[in-house]
Amino acid sequence: MNAIEIKNLSKSFGAKQAVSGLNMTVPMGAIYGFIGENGSGKSTTEKMICGLIPRDGGTITVYGKDNSDEAVRESMSVLIEAPGCFGGLTVFDNMMLQAENLGLENAEKEVIRTLKLVRMEGAAGNKYKNCSLGMKQRVGIAMALLGDPTLLVLDEPLNGLDADGMRIMREVFTDIIKDGKRSIVVSSHLLGELEKVATHYGIIRGGKMMREMTAEELERDCRTYVSIKAKDMNAAKFLLMRNYTRVEEDEAGYLRVYDNTTPDKVAKYLYDNGIAVTELGKAKIGLEEYYIDLMKEGK
Amino acid sequence: MTKEISFESPSFKERIKGMLGVDFYRLFHTPLFYIFLAISAIIPAMVSGMTMMTPPEGGEAVALYSNVWQIIAAKEPLYVINTIADYANMNMVYIFGGIMVSIFIGHDYKSGYVKQLFTTHALKQDYMISKSLVCAFAIVCMCASYFVGGTVAGLLVGYDTAVNVGSLILAILGKMVLSLGWASLFTFLNVIFRRYFGISICSSFFFGTGILIIGVASIVEALSLPTWFLNAFLYGSSVNACLTSNIATFVGAMLTSLIWAVVYNIAGTYVLNKSDVY
Repeated sequence: MNAIEIKNLSKSFGAKQAVSGLNMTVPMGAIYGFIGENGSGKSTTEKMICGLIPRDGGTITVYGKDNSDEAVRESMSVLIEAPGCFGGLTVFDNMMLQAENLGLENAEKEVIRTLKLVRMEGAAGNKYKNCSLGMKQRVGIAMALLGDPTLLVLDEPLNGLDADGMRIMREVFTDIIKDGKRSIVVSSHLLGELEKVATHYGIIRGGKMMREMTAEELERDCRTYVSIKAKDMNAAKFLLMRNYTRVEEDEAGYLRVYDNTTPDKVAKYLYDNGIAVTELGKAKIGLEEYYIDLMKEGK
Repeated sequence: MTKEISFESPSFKERIKGMLGVDFYRLFHTPLFYIFLAISAIIPAMVSGMTMMTPPEGGEAVALYSNVWQIIAAKEPLYVINTIADYANMNMVYIFGGIMVSIFIGHDYKSGYVKQLFTTHALKQDYMISKSLVCAFAIVCMCASYFVGGTVAGLLVGYDTAVNVGSLILAILGKMVLSLGWASLFTFLNVIFRRYFGISICSSFFFGTGILIIGVASIVEALSLPTWFLNAFLYGSSVNACLTSNIATFVGAMLTSLIWAVVYNIAGTYVLNKSDVY
């Protein structure tokens, strides 16, 4: 059984088709990285999964049941846009309200547990409106974790978090799915961070699913390249472009040779042509570059 | 290995208990409720301070009220108003109540709380019921506050206190039970205009004034038609709960309140089910 199965989902707002014929499968126990440009339909899809906006067509099943099923919805949790806190109340009070809403037994204990998970127990007495953006984001995640939900839908949960906050979130996400029953859908533009935790990916564009894959498939699909730094970069680039089909210069100023070759062969070729190589290595493109490439291909 | 997972449907009692708990907590832990309680006490005190008024046709100024209890409820069911005294009684609480409900529900949407809520609570009817009940409670409290403010001010001004106590109690109780119908109307209006906070406040204010019924009553009176059917509406029934009230008036107010509460709750649930949550 999959955590989420979406078939032929569609939604339009007036004349604008936000989601069109979208298919999506989130396996049980997955951290599903949901990626797409702004306005690609990520948030709309997430809101439809959570039942916040009605769909025009298609089906959404969550753990084998329609997503409108009360029992299934009771076990879902969400962080979309804002955490749903009242500014005038303290972090703790806001958490207690949500715990009450969920009808949790031992609400206070559960609130303290989740605040500890996101390292916010020290700020429990702060008024929510006085919290920084990063703190608010942590509170939002703590709130989403209340009641040990089976499915978490998080829209840009990493925004505003500092490096330590991101590391903590990675630990929290990994911990949640370790029993193989819980699943997380995370949309984020911080692809480098997402890549560190996601087990599955879905790339959406123009309201359609472009590609779905596992982290292993991404690893296989991501091209390797030889990275070079030479004394005379212009001459090196000129030479490499004569001998290889795809040579690019990256943002850090390194030359990348994407052809099926090895560093020693590239180095030998440059040396034979009088170019001194100062740095040499073999690397793989990351999710971010893979995504950019995919978007370019789509265009 | 097959991973098994099971889900349990929460009962209505479990669902509504949590929601009511949250709404009551918010009501008591934010200044909004207390501000409106104070307003409800101050306004009748101010109105009763306006002891004299010059009649429209001119001449000597006359006392606005002849009796302290007219600040609480009109002498008789006056659907068409001639002076401010005909209008200024406990029915004004519904105007303040409308504004309070708009701000209370507006915060739900502004903070994103409804997204959390509607993700886990699939049934939108729970939201309508919870809000209607909590806001009705707030309006009842505002009625009580109005009663205290109006009575103290009226006694200080020195108005006559003679009254049929039974009718007065039934009038006050009638206005209080009508709070449920009014709270449901305001909740419904705020669900419709959830994206436009200003419009939701204006619409609550507009309906709270009862201006529609006052307008219809003017036409009805001009045509010399019977006015009893106006009691089927919230404002009409609120007007009918006056110092000549009897048991029938109170029962009528209860039925009107209950029927409109059900109507607005069903309509609000329908709108919420069909619309997007922002």
